[in-house]
Amino acid sequence: MTDQLIIRDLEVSIGTKKILRGLSLSVGQGEVHALMGPNGSGKTSLAYTLMGHPDYHVDAGEVTWRGESILKMAPDKRARAGMFLAFQYPSAIPGVTVASFLRNIYNAVHHPRNPDEAGEGAIKYTGIPLAKFRRLLEEKMALLSMDPGFSTRYVNDGFSGGEKKRLEMLQMAIMNPTLAILDETDSGLDIDALRQVADGINATLTPEMGVLLITHYQRMLNYIRPDQVHVLLDGRIVMSGGEELSHQLEANGYDWVREQVGVPDGVGDEVAEPAPQPA
Amino acid sequence: MAPVAGALDPAALMEVFGSRPEPDWLRTIRRRTWAGYDATPWPSASEEEWRRTRLDELPRDVPLVSDARAEVSVLDADATGAGVVFADLGDAVRDHPELVQRVLAADAAGPRTHAAFWELSRASWTAGTFLYVPAGVTISLVLRSRTATAGAGAFFPRTIVVAEANSTVTLLDEFSSVDGEPGWFGGTVDIRAGAGARVRYANLQRLGDATWNIGAQRVEVGPDAEVTILNAQVGSLVTKLGMDILMSGRGGTSRLLGILAAGDEQKIDINSLQDLSASNTTSDLLYLSALYDSAHAVFYGSTRVRSEAKQTSSFQECRNLLLSPKAGAEPIPVLEIETNDILRCGHGATAGAIDPVQMFYAQSRGLSHDQAERMIVRGFFERVVAQIGSEAIRAHVLAALEDRIGSAEVVAA
Repeated sequence: MTDQLIIRDLEVSIGTKKILRGLSLSVGQGEVHALMGPNGSGKTSLAYTLMGHPDYHVDAGEVTWRGESILKMAPDKRARAGMFLAFQYPSAIPGVTVASFLRNIYNAVHHPRNPDEAGEGAIKYTGIPLAKFRRLLEEKMALLSMDPGFSTRYVNDGFSGGEKKRLEMLQMAIMNPTLAILDETDSGLDIDALRQVADGINATLTPEMGVLLITHYQRMLNYIRPDQVHVLLDGRIVMSGGEELSHQLEANGYDWVREQVGVPDGVGDEVAEPAPQPA
Repeated sequence: MAPVAGALDPAALMEVFGSRPEPDWLRTIRRRTWAGYDATPWPSASEEEWRRTRLDELPRDVPLVSDARAEVSVLDADATGAGVVFADLGDAVRDHPELVQRVLAADAAGPRTHAAFWELSRASWTAGTFLYVPAGVTISLVLRSRTATAGAGAFFPRTIVVAEANSTVTLLDEFSSVDGEPGWFGGTVDIRAGAGARVRYANLQRLGDATWNIGAQRVEVGPDAEVTILNAQVGSLVTKLGMDILMSGRGGTSRLLGILAAGDEQKIDINSLQDLSASNTTSDLLYLSALYDSAHAVFYGSTRVRSEAKQTSSFQECRNLLLSPKAGAEPIPVLEIETNDILRCGHGATAGAIDPVQMFYAQSRGLSHDQAERMIVRGFFERVVAQIGSEAIRAHVLAALEDRIGSAEVVAA
């Protein structure tokens, strides 16, 4: 099967610090894989590496998506290949409205400008017609129960944590990816916001989409049922199982995993996750 | 054909002006202000505001441009009937001599840092924009003046806006010259807003890439007047602009907006003075610059709150986005506060590159590096763009910006 993400023996460092130490994982079409692990285990580093963050250096291993190696692709090319990362800490883009941003990213992925087009042709390029885009946006915002006024605000500028996560979901709905990596989309949300965001994710998921759902807690998995659960510790996947594994983790904690697999307490915790961006 | 004169050769200049059909009172003003120019030393590098821009390479031997004029939009019958005058300055001298003579007689000194160039413009202007709005008259249409020069030369056009009490007017004042021709542009802007007047003035500078722009602006804000000044600077090789904002009328308000986009080896150096001498005045300045390649920007902003000015509010903010490791910016705020009785007086200044996380975020959505950069730069300018009240002016400013920052894909949604 080629419609899948295959990660083989991936080793990644940032600066001189080794973060992923031989990680292997496959996500097939239509499958939801939950990746769980304590703070500092390398979850966000994996997400950033998959999306092509320039600071994350791949030392060894391979990542293929639909049979093609992606490691040399720029982040925008990965997006155009169908990959999407919902950020744990989405960036603000002051002065750019949500609607304008979404129209641009929709065009970038689904309506790209013909690179051979130059001069007059390039000037005339407008991508998706405005009226058509507005209908698409209204439809997706309704799907996610979002207030229409949301689209006139600047991207993540002064947004609450819940609003940022909902905008990530709106972007996913607009981009309609075939592989979604959701990095702690549940973090910082109260129970009502979590339900709203989870409903949004479920409304957006399609049978064609593979999902890598990164989370610290089991609670997200009450709303989005995983096909498989993996535990990341010290830069490696140390356990994999079905949905029941997440319940065992919830009941026993990550120390239980350490005992099971023989990783000493605290190893892996030293790896710094990126700090939250100031609002 | 008009005689050709070096811009700083008085005998040749007098011959040029002698050949123009000008009234004697204007010739007298030219002689007097030329003497004033002659007696005023050029700025030296020992002055704080001139430390960062030297005039050594200013092309001062180029001939005076004497054939350009301001192309102004046509007034409607109501405005003309109400006594509004909007014309090239030379035409206004011919058609409304008493009015222009009265206005020029009330000329005051320009920015201290540009004293010599202010006098030079008074003596040697060959074109300009003259706008007079009588008391109580509202012009709802946006007025537009375009001044272009075709070749190498020195050019000192004057823009004079007199908005009498309780009048309302919006002016877009555009300047352009051709690329590749050494030029010395010494345009001056003199805005006098009477009591309760509402003036919106937008200066769009698209001078050629070999032109030195040594400009000066003087803005006098009367009691309860509301004045918005936008400087959109996207052209020239070197720009050294001095601005005096004189908050001399009680209750007056000024909003000072700047959009600067520069690349290649361009240098933009602006010094501003927000001079609050009357009580209950408000003056807020916001200048944003995007600097590419080896471009360099200096913003030396002074705020002076005089002891007699109580309950004032003032702010100056200067943000610089550096799009290249070789680009640089120096925002230098200076506050002089002579009274404790103020509501607010502050400043904010930054210079930095685009946050790499922000760039990665945008690229992860499918935007190329250049697309993401254009979008972020365009968003950066939005704080000023959103304050441009006129849709027409906004469109002109954005079109000029695109020459430098590129087309920001589709902005509407």
